[in-house]
Amino acid sequence: MLVPASLDELLASVAADTRADLIAGGTDLMVEVNFGRRSPESVISVALVPELKSWYRSGDEVILNAALTYSEMMRPPLCELLPALAQAARTVGSPQIRNAGTIGGNLATASPAGDTLPVLAALEATVVLESAEGGRAVPVGEFIVSVKRTSLAPGEIIRSVRVPARRAAQEFLKVGTRNAMVIAVCSVALVADAERREVHLGLGSVGPVPLRAPRAEELATSLFDWDEGVPRASEKELARLAELASEAARPIDDHRSTARYRRHAVGVCARRAFERARLPDATGRRSVTP
Amino acid sequence: MMEISIDLNGAGRKVEVGLDESLLRLLRRLGCLSVRYGSSTGETGAAAVLVDGDLVSAEVMLAVQADGHRVETLESLDPGTAELHPIQQAFVETGALQGGYSAGAMVLATKALLERRPDPSDEEIRDALSGILDRETGYVKVLEAVRRAAALLHGEKPPPLAPLVLEPLTTSPTTRRGDLDGEESVSPAAPRLVPSVDVPPMAVVGKPERKVDALRMVKGHEAFADDVELRGLLHAKILRSPYAHARIRSIDDSAARALPGVHAVLHYGNTARVKYASGGQSWPNPKPYDQVSFDDKVRHVGDRVAAVAAESPEIAEEACRLLKVTYDVLPPVLSAKEAIAPGAPVVHDEPDTEGIYDASRNLSHHIEGQTVPDDELAEAFARADRIFEETFSVQAVQHCPIEPHVAVGWLDGDERLVIRTSNQVPFHTRRMLSPLLALPVKSIRVIKPRIGGGFGSKQEMVIEDVVGHLVLATGRPVRLELTREEEFVSTRRRHSQTLTFRTGVSSDGKLVAQDLSVLADTGAYGTHGFTVQSLTGQRGLSQYNCPAKRFRCDVAYTNRPVAGAFRGYGAPQALFALESHLDDIARQLGIDPVELRRRNWVRSGDPLDIVPRLGERGAVEEVRPEDIPRIGSCGLAECVAQGLVAIGWERRGDPSWSRPPGRPSIRRGIGMGLAMQGSGIPLVDMGAASIKMNDDGSFNLLAGAADIGTGADTALAQIAAEVLGVTPADIVVYSGDTDVTPFDVGAYASSTTYVSGMAVKKAAEAARERIVARAARLLGVEDACEIHLRDHHAVGADGRSISLEKIALNALHTEDQEQIIGTASHVSPDSPAPFAAQFAEVEVDVETGQVTVEKVVTAVDCGVAVNPLGASGQVEGAVAQALGYALTEELVLDDHGRPLNARFGPYWILRSDDAPPQEVILVETMEPSGPFGAKSVGEVAIDSVAPAVRNAVLDATGVAIDELPLTPERVWRALQTSSAGDADV
Ligand SMILES: Cc1cc2nc3c(=O)[nH]c(=O)nc-3n(C[C@H](O)[C@H](O)[C@H](O)COP(=O)(O)OP(=O)(O)OC[C@H]3O[C@@H](n4cnc5c(N)ncnc54)[C@H](O)[C@@H]3O)c2cc1C
Ligand code: FES
Repeated sequence: MLVPASLDELLASVAADTRADLIAGGTDLMVEVNFGRRSPESVISVALVPELKSWYRSGDEVILNAALTYSEMMRPPLCELLPALAQAARTVGSPQIRNAGTIGGNLATASPAGDTLPVLAALEATVVLESAEGGRAVPVGEFIVSVKRTSLAPGEIIRSVRVPARRAAQEFLKVGTRNAMVIAVCSVALVADAERREVHLGLGSVGPVPLRAPRAEELATSLFDWDEGVPRASEKELARLAELASEAARPIDDHRSTARYRRHAVGVCARRAFERARLPDATGRRSVTP
Repeated sequence: MMEISIDLNGAGRKVEVGLDESLLRLLRRLGCLSVRYGSSTGETGAAAVLVDGDLVSAEVMLAVQADGHRVETLESLDPGTAELHPIQQAFVETGALQGGYSAGAMVLATKALLERRPDPSDEEIRDALSGILDRETGYVKVLEAVRRAAALLHGEKPPPLAPLVLEPLTTSPTTRRGDLDGEESVSPAAPRLVPSVDVPPMAVVGKPERKVDALRMVKGHEAFADDVELRGLLHAKILRSPYAHARIRSIDDSAARALPGVHAVLHYGNTARVKYASGGQSWPNPKPYDQVSFDDKVRHVGDRVAAVAAESPEIAEEACRLLKVTYDVLPPVLSAKEAIAPGAPVVHDEPDTEGIYDASRNLSHHIEGQTVPDDELAEAFARADRIFEETFSVQAVQHCPIEPHVAVGWLDGDERLVIRTSNQVPFHTRRMLSPLLALPVKSIRVIKPRIGGGFGSKQEMVIEDVVGHLVLATGRPVRLELTREEEFVSTRRRHSQTLTFRTGVSSDGKLVAQDLSVLADTGAYGTHGFTVQSLTGQRGLSQYNCPAKRFRCDVAYTNRPVAGAFRGYGAPQALFALESHLDDIARQLGIDPVELRRRNWVRSGDPLDIVPRLGERGAVEEVRPEDIPRIGSCGLAECVAQGLVAIGWERRGDPSWSRPPGRPSIRRGIGMGLAMQGSGIPLVDMGAASIKMNDDGSFNLLAGAADIGTGADTALAQIAAEVLGVTPADIVVYSGDTDVTPFDVGAYASSTTYVSGMAVKKAAEAARERIVARAARLLGVEDACEIHLRDHHAVGADGRSISLEKIALNALHTEDQEQIIGTASHVSPDSPAPFAAQFAEVEVDVETGQVTVEKVVTAVDCGVAVNPLGASGQVEGAVAQALGYALTEELVLDDHGRPLNARFGPYWILRSDDAPPQEVILVETMEPSGPFGAKSVGEVAIDSVAPAVRNAVLDATGVAIDELPLTPERVWRALQTSSAGDADV
C-alpha cells in the first residue's frame, strides 16, 4: 500500500504501477476485496493527497475534488450551491458510508445506481482526469461509457469534477427514498438553469449509464416560467412531460422491478421534480417548495 | 504486511497489518470485541467505529486506511470501573438492548451525534442510527435511549421508563393494582398497560427491570460465540454448490490438501453417511431424515459440498477454490407447483431417506385435518348464504439475525468435544450431533453464550456438525462463521406458501364452513416441514369459531434454499390469508371488518377443535371431547377495543382524512388483523432449572432455557426473585449449557417464559421451602407456612425476621449443613394462547404504488407481562420484522436457482429511518397455568402486521392485493388493473 502525500507523488505511483487499485473511501473497493473479487496486491491511497480534498469556487464553476465525501456535499455552503447534489448525497447508504464514500469513487465505479451520477449528468459536469503525462477534461456523459466502465485510461486518475454554479433550480428525487421501506428503483435529477434558460434532466438506474431526456427537457424548458422562476404547466402538459421522460429511459428488468415499472416511475419523478422546481432569487433564497 | 500507527481508544499503537486486512479484523485481533461482523458490505453497521470522530464501517475500510488516524470503539468509554457512561446507562435503562450485538456501534453513533447535536430532533436521531441495522427492537427503545442519553448528558435525571397505565374499555373500570407506577410516562417507548384486577400485587414480576446481561452488552465484554480466544485456532470454510441441483461425480482434494496451512478437507468421500433432520426438535425428530453432513448430491445453490479447516480464513478459502469437483448438473425444480407436477425432476431420489411422504412426486409431507367429515363439510357449505374463495401467496423471507451463525469448537482436557455456538437449541443440538459425529452424548458439551438474534434460524443444526467433524479430524480448535451471503442461502428461511381459503358465511355474518388448502415450499430439505405447515392449519382455522373446518396441505421439495422455523412458525402465512380474506368478505357483505370479526372470534371456553387434528405428534385418529383444548384466559376483545382507540379507527371513511388536500396522489387508510399463537407445545416442551443459595443470600439460577436476546434470562430472574424475596440482581443467571444447566428444549414455540418460567418458579419454590423451614427453626416459629420471604429476609407472622444471608451461612457452615437448592422441571398440558390485535395506518402514493406505514398499534394479551419493557420490546421487534414481510423482503432467485439479492440493501430490512412509530398496549390477563399469570409474547406480534398493512391499503385504495410483499410495483400494478371506483388515478 502506498500513501502518497501529494498529487505529483500519486501520479508517479500510478504511472509506475498501472494495475494498482486506487482507494479513496474504500466503500466500493472493500466490498470487492471482501468478496474475494479483488485482492489489493498493490493499493494506492488518495487519503493524504491534499489536492484531491474538498472543493472550491472558480468563476462560475464549482470544482469538486475527487475525494470529496458525501457528508461534505451535505454541508453548507456547498449544499446551497448544489442542492441536488446534497439531496442525492443525503440518500446515499448510511452515515458511515457518507462519511467515507467519495464522488471520485462513485464516478470511477460508474454503477448505474450511482447516486451522484444523474445529478452530474443534469449539471453537464466535466470530469477532470490527470496522469503523469498531463490532464484532460471529459464531459460526464463521455466519461461513463457503459455499466461500470469508464474512459479512464491506465495511469490516469480522477482529479476533480467541474460543475456550473449558476443561478438554478435543482431537485433530486428517488422512488423509494428513505423513511419508506422501499428499495430505490430509479432517480431523477433536475436542473433549471436560469442563465441559459434550460431545464436538464438526469435519469438514474434506468439505463446502463446515467441518461438525459432531451425531448422532456425541451418541453420542460418551454413550460418553465423563467421570469417568475416557477413551473407553469397544465395537468396534460405535465403528463406529457412524464411520458417523454419515460420514453428516454432504457431500463431493464431485474429482481427489484420490471422495466415497465421503472419507465413509469422515472416519468413520475421527472414530473414531480419539475413541479417542485423553484428558482432562487438573486440573493440565493428559494421560495418554499410545497 | 505493513506497519501502521493508530491512536486506538486514546493509546498510540504500532501494529503490523495485512494489506487486505479490514479494520474490523484488526480491531477484533486487538481485542476490541465490541466491533462485530454483520456482513462484508458495510450495511449492518455492527462494525461501525469512530475514525477521527466520524462514524465509519470498519468492515469496508482497510486497516491501512486507519494509519495515522484516531480510532474509537465502545471500549473507549470504559473507565475500567463499574461506572457506566451516560450513553451506556441510557441504553441499559430503556431496554434498547435485546441481543446487544450492535450495542457498541449504536453507542458510538449516539456519541458522534450528541457531540455534534446535543439536542437532536427525532429525525436526526433516526438518521444518525440509520446505518446500524437492528433486527430485534424495531428501534423504538433505541431512539428512546438516544433521547435519554441526551438528557443525561445535560445533567437531567429523567424518570425511569415505566408503563403508562390505561383504563380497561370492555370491563367496567376497576381499581388498579396499587403497585403499578409510571402513570406519568408518555414516552412512545413506554408500553401502555391495561391492568387486570385478577393479578395480585407483586414485588418484582410485572416491573420494567433492566436486563441481567445488559452490562456485558453495553460494555462490549465477552458475550457472543465468537468472543473467545483459543490457542491454535483453525478457521473453517465451506465450499458451496454453484448449482441448484447436481450429482457430485467426484471430488479431487489433492491440491487443497497440499496447500500449506490446510489441516482437514471433508466431503462425502471421507465422512460417514448418517441421515438426519437438522431441525432442533424433541426426540424423536420429525421425519424425513433427508440430510447428511456431506452428500454426493447438491440440492440448492449454497448447499454444502465440502469443508476445510486451515490456519486462516484466506487459506481455507483458497483450499476451497482448489477442490476439483465434477458435477453432473441436473435440471432443477424452482417452484412448489412445478415440483409436484408430473415428470418433475426428483429432488430426493436417494434410497436411504426415511419418512418422505412421496419422494417421486417431491412431496415431503402431506397434511390433512378436519373437524367434520367431508359430507358434513359439503352440507355446511351448502347451507351457507354466501361462499367466498380466494387464493393468497406469500414469499420466502430470511430471519436476518445481525449476528450470523457462528460456532467455535474444541476438545477439552478430557478430550470431550465442546461447541460454543450461536444456537437456540443447545440440548437438541448435543443429542443430534451424537450420531453424526459417532460420539456419545456424554462426550459432547454445547454452550449457548449470548446470541445476537435467532428468530428460528438458530433452532437448527446448521453448522455445528461441520465444526464437530473438523475438530475431530484435526484435534485443533475450529471456528466457523458464516458470511452474510451464506446466511441468506444456506441457513433457513420462512416457508413460501400458496393458500386458498374457501369460506361459507351466513347472512348474519357468521362463519359456517371453512376449507383451507395450502401448497408449501420447503426447499431442498424437509426440516420443520410438517410442524410449520401443521401450525399454518391450526392458526388459519382457530381464532374464529366455525362449525365445519378442513385443512389440506402439500409440502413440496424444491431446489431452493431450505425453509425452517421462523418466528410465527406458519402463522404469519395463515393469518395473512385469513385476515385479508375476512376483510374482503366484510367488504362484500357490507359489514364493518371489526364487526365481522367480533361475530366470530373465539372467547374463553371456546373449543380449538382443529388443534388435535393437526398436532405436533401427527393426527389424532379418534378425537375425544377431552382432547379438544379450550380457550383459557382471553383479552382479545379488550385488545381490539384499545387498539381501535389508539389507531384512531373512526377516521376510516372520512374523505377529508383519507384524501389529504394538496397531496393529490396520496390516499390514506387504516387496516387491522387479529392473531393468536401458543405458549409452548403442550406435553412436549419441557424446561428445567435449579436454584442454589450462596453464602450472602444470593442465588445461582441454572436454567436450560436459551436466551437468544429475548430477555428470557431477565424474566426468569424476575420470577425467581419474586418467589425468593430478593431482587433480580441477586439472581446470577447462567443458562443453556449442556454440561452445567438442566435440560430445556430451547427457545422456540414461545415456550420460554411460560414453560421454562414455570420450571424456575417451581425450583425457586423448592428452594424457598428449605429456606423457610430453616428460618422457622432459627426464629423459633412452629409453623413454617407463616413465614414469608421479602426484602432479603424471612419474615414471621409476628414481624420478626432473619436475613437470607444469615440463613445461608447457617445452612452452609453452622448447623445441620446443607446446600439449599431447588430443582424442578415443567411440562404443560396446555398451550394458552396469547392474542394480539394489530392495526396499521398507511399512506399510498397511487402514482408510484409506494406504501408508507405511518403507525402500527399492537394490543397484546400475553397474560401477565413479567417484564413490560421486555414484552413491549418483543412486540416492537416482531412488528418491525413483519413490516419487512409486508413491504420489502423477499429472497429472489434467478432461473438457475441462484440468489439475486443475498445481501442487505437489495434485501431491505427495516432501518431506523424507516421505522414507523409504534404503540404497544399490554392487555393483562391472569393465566392460571403460567408463572405469575404469564403466557407468551415472543411470536404473536409478527403474525398480523402484514394483513393489517394490506387491509389498510385496501381501505385507502379499494384494491385488494393477495400477494406479498407490497412493493411499489406490485401495488401500482394492482391499481392499474383494478376497476374499483376509488382507485382511478
Ligand atoms: C453499505 C453501502 C451502501 C452504499 N450505498 C450507496 C448509495 O446509496 N448510493 C451510491 O451511489 N453508492 C452507494 N454505495 C457505493 C459507494 O459508497 C459509492 O460508490 C462511493 O461513492 C464510493 O466512493 P469511495 O471513495 O468509497 O470509493 P472506493 O471504494 O475507494 O473506490 C471505488 C473505485 O473507484 C476508484 N477510485 C477512487 N477514487 C478514484 C480517483 N480519484 N480516480 C480514479 N479512480 C478512483 C477505486 O480505484 C475503485 O475502483 C454504497 C456502498 C456501501 C458499502
Ligand atoms: S442487537 Fe440489534 S440486531 Fe441484535
